[in-house]
Amino acid sequence: MKALVLGAGGFIGLNLVDALLAAGHTPRCGRRARSNVLPLRSRKVPLVPADLEDPEGLQAAMRDVDVVFHAAGHYPRFAHRPEEALQAGLRQTRNVLDAAAAAGVRRLVYASTTATVARGQAGSSNEGHVFASAPEHGTYHRLKWHMEAQALAEDRLEVRVACPAGCIGPWDLRVGTSALLVGTARGLDPPHPDGVVNLVDARDVAQGMLQLAALEESPRRVILSGSTHRLQDLLQLLARRYHVAPPSPPLTTAEAVALADAEERRAAEGGPRASLSREIVDLILYGVPLDAGLSERALGLRYRSLEDTLDAFDAWARRMRLIPEPSPQEELPA
Amino acid sequence: MNLEQEIREAIAEVAAVRPADIHAEDRLREDLGLDSVSSMELLSVLAERYDVDIEMEEAVAITTVAQIIEVTRTRLGAPS
Repeated sequence: MKALVLGAGGFIGLNLVDALLAAGHTPRCGRRARSNVLPLRSRKVPLVPADLEDPEGLQAAMRDVDVVFHAAGHYPRFAHRPEEALQAGLRQTRNVLDAAAAAGVRRLVYASTTATVARGQAGSSNEGHVFASAPEHGTYHRLKWHMEAQALAEDRLEVRVACPAGCIGPWDLRVGTSALLVGTARGLDPPHPDGVVNLVDARDVAQGMLQLAALEESPRRVILSGSTHRLQDLLQLLARRYHVAPPSPPLTTAEAVALADAEERRAAEGGPRASLSREIVDLILYGVPLDAGLSERALGLRYRSLEDTLDAFDAWARRMRLIPEPSPQEELPA
Repeated sequence: MNLEQEIREAIAEVAAVRPADIHAEDRLREDLGLDSVSSMELLSVLAERYDVDIEMEEAVAITTVAQIIEVTRTRLGAPS
């Protein structure tokens, strides 16, 4: 497989690169001019310039490529500029699709999100539960719905869409989905609302995307989700795992939204990173239990257990100093 | 320009500080205002410029200008 990974230095991208290398493929790895390529250099993979705002550069990066993995979809840092986020997301998605069509790429696998999955009438939601129009759940949901719709409307090449749940695993260098996990592990008792959260191991997401690229017959859009939890229960489990105090009671919806909005405005003005981001709040508040059975049947995926995922993340996060090593006293047997 | 001066120039590009105001004992976060993402980008720029490999485990342990100079110098096999 001659593959290009867009967003190769990011969380999903690095797990994709590892999955491709393990499967015997050496992917071409797209990079922006100013990005951390240390992990890619260690993997000895070819790097090519691929800025989503540079259509000609994208087309050059895709030359002689069969499959493009698009794991660089616009991720708005802040929720309070929705139109700006939407314009950037749609413009960049258009650039990627146009470049792929012009370069003669056969198949594109796009990493979307389960934020595009609608609530079912009863029980779990699956690929059949779609929003008729962009959901009014906040900037992130609206943007991701429009970007996915744009990708699925493409008819010049074959586009397949992966909808991963909240990804946990190695190489979340910017500590995105795992912010609540890291905060809890450090005993910070991070503020949070309550709701349904779906988690998936980033390595399983990579495997799912690899299958979407490789199979001749596959669904166009697949949910990738390993487990479903109430967030408060999950944080209690994590608190026990890290021997820290139980989590505080959850914030109300109004409190969580107000806190996230205030934190993001402060961060946008040059302050430290928001302690709670609006897109995480929206994902929790509007989370629905997911049925990922199609990915198991059609892609042959076997999801790792939550315990395996947490163990792998923990080992990696300690190496990256995101979670402090236990003191010698903590390491003594009980 | 010697290696140390080149590294100061590279740090100045990322940290918005004049090269002359960057000292070996400066801490990347506290003294130069670099967050972890900017620090990694800086090390990445240097790794590419000098064609040296720096493992992420090593990169996250670097907190001062002196450590950046030292790791680059060691990788290049340059004398201290």
